[in-house]
Amino acid sequence: MKSLIRFMFVSMVVLTSGAAPAFADLKIATSLTDLASVAQLVGGKHVTAQSLCRGYEDPHFVPAKPSLMKAIQHADVFVSTGLELDAGWLPLVLPGSRNPKIQPGAKGFVDASEGIDVLEKPSGTVSRAEGDVHPLGNPHYYADPKALEVVADHLADVFSRLDPPNAADYAANAKAFDQKMEASLAKWSQQMGPYKGAPVVTYHKNFVYFAERFGLKQFGTVEPKPGIPPNPRYLSDLADRMKTEGVKLVLYQPYYNADPCNQLAKRAGGVAVKIATEVGGVAGTDDVFSKFDVLVSSVAGALSGKSGGQQ
Amino acid sequence: MSSPRIAALSVACARSFTFALAAVIAGMMCAPEIATAQTSSMFSNLANPAIGMNALFSGLAAHNLNQPYGMQFDEAEISLISVVDPYWTFTSNIVFTPDGVDPEEVWVRSIKIPSIQLKLGKIRGTFGKHGLLHTHAFPFIQAPIVMSNTIGGEGFKDPGLEASWLTPLPWFSELTGGVYQAVGPDDEHPLDLGSSRHDNVPYLGHFKNQFDLGGETTLELGQSFLQGRGSDGHRHAAWGADATVRNVPATSSNRHGWILQSEYLQKGSFVGGSYDREQDGGYASFQYRLSQIWWAGIRGEQARKSFTDFVVDGAGDPVAAKVNRASANIAWMPSEFSFIRFEYSHAKADAGIHPTDDRIAVQMSYTIGYHPAHAY
Repeated sequence: MKSLIRFMFVSMVVLTSGAAPAFADLKIATSLTDLASVAQLVGGKHVTAQSLCRGYEDPHFVPAKPSLMKAIQHADVFVSTGLELDAGWLPLVLPGSRNPKIQPGAKGFVDASEGIDVLEKPSGTVSRAEGDVHPLGNPHYYADPKALEVVADHLADVFSRLDPPNAADYAANAKAFDQKMEASLAKWSQQMGPYKGAPVVTYHKNFVYFAERFGLKQFGTVEPKPGIPPNPRYLSDLADRMKTEGVKLVLYQPYYNADPCNQLAKRAGGVAVKIATEVGGVAGTDDVFSKFDVLVSSVAGALSGKSGGQQ
Repeated sequence: MSSPRIAALSVACARSFTFALAAVIAGMMCAPEIATAQTSSMFSNLANPAIGMNALFSGLAAHNLNQPYGMQFDEAEISLISVVDPYWTFTSNIVFTPDGVDPEEVWVRSIKIPSIQLKLGKIRGTFGKHGLLHTHAFPFIQAPIVMSNTIGGEGFKDPGLEASWLTPLPWFSELTGGVYQAVGPDDEHPLDLGSSRHDNVPYLGHFKNQFDLGGETTLELGQSFLQGRGSDGHRHAAWGADATVRNVPATSSNRHGWILQSEYLQKGSFVGGSYDREQDGGYASFQYRLSQIWWAGIRGEQARKSFTDFVVDGAGDPVAAKVNRASANIAWMPSEFSFIRFEYSHAKADAGIHPTDDRIAVQMSYTIGYHPAHAY
């Protein structure tokens, strides 16, 4: 009988402690630096947010180091990019953390792509004959300022559910985030205005959300298919087409091979510019706002012919 | 030990067990988690499990072996992975070979216990480094000779239960303990753990620590121990130690990097109160990623008192020898889902009718469907 009472008492104590939400300092971990930036801005002083992928790292190929598992062992929330962008490494890191709060299906697991207007959703057969395609649609939505407003609102809801006493702060922070993003977007749209319809080539199809938002034309990609490196014949053909169509700008992130981009730009008589579509990708991109400041300046500068961007 | 002391100890154990059971059950039943948990999966949103298949083909030209040169089908591995319910995930790898079908791995993993992970089923025991790899993930076509002479060419694979604890230390420090079914020696089980005595519960211990040496390089150290009673009545054991230094440049994680790895394994038995070392050996390898699609590697190894395919006597029967072998390979990986690699190896043995062995091997791997990422 004593054992039974002890069993019930221990169960109640542990259950009670487990049921209590973490009121102070939610520990947020994310797949991407942009998501960490949004989480920090929405969470304010009530959260600490860190990204497992660094801004200059390819988010498709983050090495699933055990130290990443350790880093999220005690996280309260994990924000995944979703749309299978992190599917190559997150299925190792999440279970390895032994943290039940952030496993898929738990309250602390967030798919940040929920509510996003996803582009390039495959409408027909999905096949790896087309390369390493994303079957749920293009996951690089964080290159669109408006998409991050959706993420901010989503995270405010999540944080409020997990930490009700600070719900008003989260809602206010999200509202402030949206307002600042709208004001910034007006400024960025003005900067990009003269270049509507300008064609660009990017290394990977991770610029389509930015192109869609600001009216640029995605002319082609340096890689012939997602995940497949270019060969000389492909680059030669693409350079010829760029010349014919007057395409002068090749954009690539710091984690892609600059050599084929520079070769392509040289053959096409254009310029290759290193850009950051992720926070922390290049210097001066410490949060999502400064990231877009630098990104818009780089692209607009390169399209104007006055600046080579951050080569 | 006197009866009262035994009784007192039994009561204490019962209380401790009750306390621990209560804590574990309560921990697993975190009410708010259950209330919202769904059987959603990060692998698939559908009712079907994530399905994938890998096929391996190879060719071997080895002068000393009594077999024709040419290509052969090695294996096809089908994997089914999904979430069982809010408490468990399920993984299975069924391997089809020319010799038959092997349910190589069929296990469930807990997802609700903080800091501890349970694996239950037919599992790949957490022993060493190379022994954790699937065949298509071997860094070289041929496994190190010491593997098939200690814990098994493809590692230690038996039904059992493992618990791994991610310790509170500030770096990744994992302590794993496991108990397994008693299985006697055969081609896949060089270690005899097959005693039918009731007290024979083979057990394993593994300690792994990983340190970040800056943002791009890691050091991993592991120690493993496995012991049980054999069908001969004696205790048999294997132990191992491994060290891996790995570099993955942050801005070219899918184009460059290198892995320096070494491992030592030993098998022995306790007879007449003393330990008898039977087979042992180790390897050191270096793999270098030349580009997104090219890998190259070299490996040196030694195995003592060990058996391997080319070390035979005049009648063609295997004999034990000290074998030194050097291997070099190069792999072409046009995508993440296929590769072809070529390998040359040169070996020397101090017994048998072939003092040296030279061979060339080629291997092709193709993967379709869902395939989980390989461990770091």
